[in-house]
Amino acid sequence: MTRVLLCLVVAVMLLPVGVMAVVASAPEGGGAEFSLFANIAEMFAGGDFPVYFRNSLILSFGIGLLDVLFAGASGYALARLRFRGKKVLFVLVVGTLALSPTVVMVPVYVIVHQLGWIDTYQGMIVPSMISAFGVFLVRQFALGLPEELLLAARVDGAGEVRIFATIAVPLLRPALLTLFLLQFLTQWDNLLWPLLVANDPALWPLPVGISQLQTEIGYDIRLMTTAALVTAVPPIVLMFFLQRYYVAGLTLGGVKK
Amino acid sequence: MTTVQLRIGRPATLSGQGQRRAEGRAGGLLALPAAIYFGVFWLLPFLSAAYLSFTRYDLAGMPEWVGLDNYRKMAEDPGFWNSAQVTLVYTAGSVIPSIVLALAIAVPLARPGRLNGVLRGLMMIPAVMPLVATSVVWRIIYADGGPANAVLGVAGFGPVSWLTDDGIALWALVIMVTWKHLGLFVIILTAGLQGLPPSVYEAAALDGAGPVRAFFSITLPLLRRTLLFVLVIAVVGSMQAFIPAFLLTGGGPAGATEVLPYYMWSNAFGFERMGYASAMAMVLLAVLVVLSLVQFRFLRGGGDD
Repeated sequence: MTRVLLCLVVAVMLLPVGVMAVVASAPEGGGAEFSLFANIAEMFAGGDFPVYFRNSLILSFGIGLLDVLFAGASGYALARLRFRGKKVLFVLVVGTLALSPTVVMVPVYVIVHQLGWIDTYQGMIVPSMISAFGVFLVRQFALGLPEELLLAARVDGAGEVRIFATIAVPLLRPALLTLFLLQFLTQWDNLLWPLLVANDPALWPLPVGISQLQTEIGYDIRLMTTAALVTAVPPIVLMFFLQRYYVAGLTLGGVKK
Repeated sequence: MTTVQLRIGRPATLSGQGQRRAEGRAGGLLALPAAIYFGVFWLLPFLSAAYLSFTRYDLAGMPEWVGLDNYRKMAEDPGFWNSAQVTLVYTAGSVIPSIVLALAIAVPLARPGRLNGVLRGLMMIPAVMPLVATSVVWRIIYADGGPANAVLGVAGFGPVSWLTDDGIALWALVIMVTWKHLGLFVIILTAGLQGLPPSVYEAAALDGAGPVRAFFSITLPLLRRTLLFVLVIAVVGSMQAFIPAFLLTGGGPAGATEVLPYYMWSNAFGFERMGYASAMAMVLLAVLVVLSLVQFRFLRGGGDD
């Protein structure tokens, strides 16, 4: 009985997803045949969507990789090395975790404006390129690395940066991969910041492009929904592989966003 | 043990001056980009927001010091109070039903089994769907001849202008975000439920407690911290969420869905009132800090379960 009820609840929850699939699969001009793939092909054939798609890939990969690089390096340093300003940096990262992007949005925009970065990729990428969550994640993971391996390399005379690159990074791989995927997905769904910084449609990622087209009168609902579906597929697929990490990220993100 | 032996064997290279210097150089190098980034894009903006809240600034020229004017203006601004009220209704309206529903779903869904595992995964789909995709779908659902009105029709009610009626638009957003967040809350609660000790339930069953009694006297008290965690992330999240309003209603009709962050956004980027928007940001921050302290107090401090 409860099983049937639970299945029913989930079915109701998935109805909107079903609506999306049905509208995205409708053929041009109405009719009953299944045209999802034709619609996707049409979406990528020309017009604005390929540009939005490319920009989304640039932002998501770019910020994902930068975050892995810099949050990885600083998270490791915070966990395993003694250096000047370590405490200050740690307090800064913890403080950032408590601060919300909404609160600092105005001054960050002023800074980007002063730097002349409006309508540039760096204006969209740099202000989001390191996540406090990422530094934290890597630090926690790095605290658990076996001291013996690092000591052995030190005894062999390897430099600290080399120890990080050749010994720590391979061991940190699970944390770095998780961080990359979470950051990729966060940026894949990022609307507000690119919307503020990019006035030029040639720079718009998918969320901005779709939201702007949505406000136009007489937009093509079928193609728009196809684009929405294509945008929704990567996070849904990844979620099934990474459910555990995803929840950790969403909950931490929930506190931050 | 190995560590200790190695330390005794090579004190000069591992804990001595040379090692310290090497760590200092490498650590500084590895941490420098992050230090610059957090300084420039978080610390400096935070301090600027505090400063700008006492100024008038429109991006052109220099900020002009006006003391407490922005805060005084806020106290008398009907737009601000409207947005505060809308935020309150929006937050309470989405948080309370989603937590009650999530709990009702999580209790049976937390039981082990293949089917439940699959259902938990499916429940997460709305939560992980990009917001823009979500808004495209819900625009279709809320359209005049759309599925939402079809459901109303079956129930015997007339069609409703979901997104353009000022008495309904906010509730249309509440329904959408409740739908979107439900799965996440269910997952967090099921994780909490699965961590509860089965022995307590066995003891209760031996004492003749039924499932309802067990829920109220065992599950709820033991789940207190998880529930509080969900409550805080839900409140904090929904107080800052304005993309739904931004995408579906544009804050309208007549400000009926203009939540505080959205009002702040339009003041900053619609009217270039950077100082006034910063003052609102400081008020928002104060509320969020209080909520975070509540969370910290309850999650790290008290509670022994």
